[in-house]
Amino acid sequence: MRELTLKDVDRDEALTEAVAELCGSSRAEFLRTAALGSAAMLGALATPAPASAAVSDVDILNFGLLFERLQATFYTQADELGTVASMSAAKQRWAETLGAHERAHVRIIKQVLGPRAGPRPAFDFGDANETDAAFTKTAVAMEDLTVALLTGVTPQVHDRGLTAALMGLLTVEARHAAWARNIIHETPAPQAFDEPRTLHSVRGTIARTRFVVARPKTGSHRTPGYTG
Amino acid sequence: MIRRRAAVLVGLVAIFTAIGVLRAGSPPPAAVRATQHALPPPVAPAFTPGPPRPLGSTAHLTHWAPVRHTVVARTDPDAAATGAATLDATTPEGTRNLVVVLDRGVDAGGHPWVHVQLPVLPNGTTGWVPRRALGGYADVDTRLVVDVARLQATLYRDGRVLQRSPVAVGMPGWDTPLGEFYVRNRLTRYRSPMYGPVAFGTSARSPRATDWPAGGFVGIHGTDRPELVPGRVSHGCIRMRNADIVALARRMPVGTPVTIR
Repeated sequence: MRELTLKDVDRDEALTEAVAELCGSSRAEFLRTAALGSAAMLGALATPAPASAAVSDVDILNFGLLFERLQATFYTQADELGTVASMSAAKQRWAETLGAHERAHVRIIKQVLGPRAGPRPAFDFGDANETDAAFTKTAVAMEDLTVALLTGVTPQVHDRGLTAALMGLLTVEARHAAWARNIIHETPAPQAFDEPRTLHSVRGTIARTRFVVARPKTGSHRTPGYTG
Repeated sequence: MIRRRAAVLVGLVAIFTAIGVLRAGSPPPAAVRATQHALPPPVAPAFTPGPPRPLGSTAHLTHWAPVRHTVVARTDPDAAATGAATLDATTPEGTRNLVVVLDRGVDAGGHPWVHVQLPVLPNGTTGWVPRRALGGYADVDTRLVVDVARLQATLYRDGRVLQRSPVAVGMPGWDTPLGEFYVRNRLTRYRSPMYGPVAFGTSARSPRATDWPAGGFVGIHGTDRPELVPGRVSHGCIRMRNADIVALARRMPVGTPVTIR
């Protein structure tokens, strides 16, 4: 059975570029063909945290909200547009369940943050949720990344109650990751230890995917030239 | 024989009962007691997400996408198919051009294409563009229906009426085009009282105003002549009283489908 690699899910080589920026180009080239989620890959990705990177609980929750919104939008769009309907019954159940979970996560984190919640960004998934194959590969990569992120940031949360809540999310996301891998006949638990990733490194990876984009300019102050 | 077996059974029950009583009465071993004292109570989570949220109704949902770069829309999802129209990345007003998504497909090579409504003449033209020519999808659950016969515009959200307002439409010979269109942009704070405080650009075009500076697109806007609303007085645009267009601007996002009938 062939292992899933970064190359398989890398849209426009964006993830490879992000890894190159974080880890150097030679390591990125190695990672390109390393099995996704493998100990070798996650170990190489574990970049040191930037010096004196003091992040507040609100910062961490807001980044969590961004990431959950990204995932929720990814699954919701695929469902609304018909990608999910084109899949097998087992994959439909998987995709619908993950979408329903991510939407619940978005709602609760927004509620917890209240007015401190960041604005909803715009997303552009390109081809990534257009076809069954692209959707599945991207979902696997996102779920693996979520587990690495939550493993990395949860111990940094100051509030013990929040830590407990994030642990609840982490275990569910780990189940998502395992389910996703099982769906495509990959090893559900490829390594004995999930290497944590820093918020900084995950933020860099997301930036390089170009999934989070600026809202298109749809307003102007120009005098209308309509027919009147 | 039976009496002997019964006596043995009664004896066994008595022995096990005695052992159970003795065990219940004695304290647990020291190692177990130490573990019980060392275990802290579980930390209560600050939040719990509640039940999963299934996908809501999509019956009134419309998806649109911005145009990334100039692209030829084709009659089929195939780079070799006949060109239906050229889509620019920007509108004459300098905003990002948008298209409403009608369908999706793949070409022979498995590359995704999107079937879209085109803001070109003849009105109602559709075409296929490569997915990569478009930006991220956005969705709206609003719809504006303009009834030319009744001179009335109705805004719906998720199928429910949000606003109903009188309108002025095209005069005879400059009829407002009928069909399915969408809102492409929203203009504000311009210096032209005849358009009122807010103007929406639509994908509808006047077949007669093709030499108009901006291509003869039909707008939905306010007015400096409210006494002419409702009526048939425009060159194809849909005019509203200023209070109505301001209320509409609060409720109607760009990308909203517009039915003119």
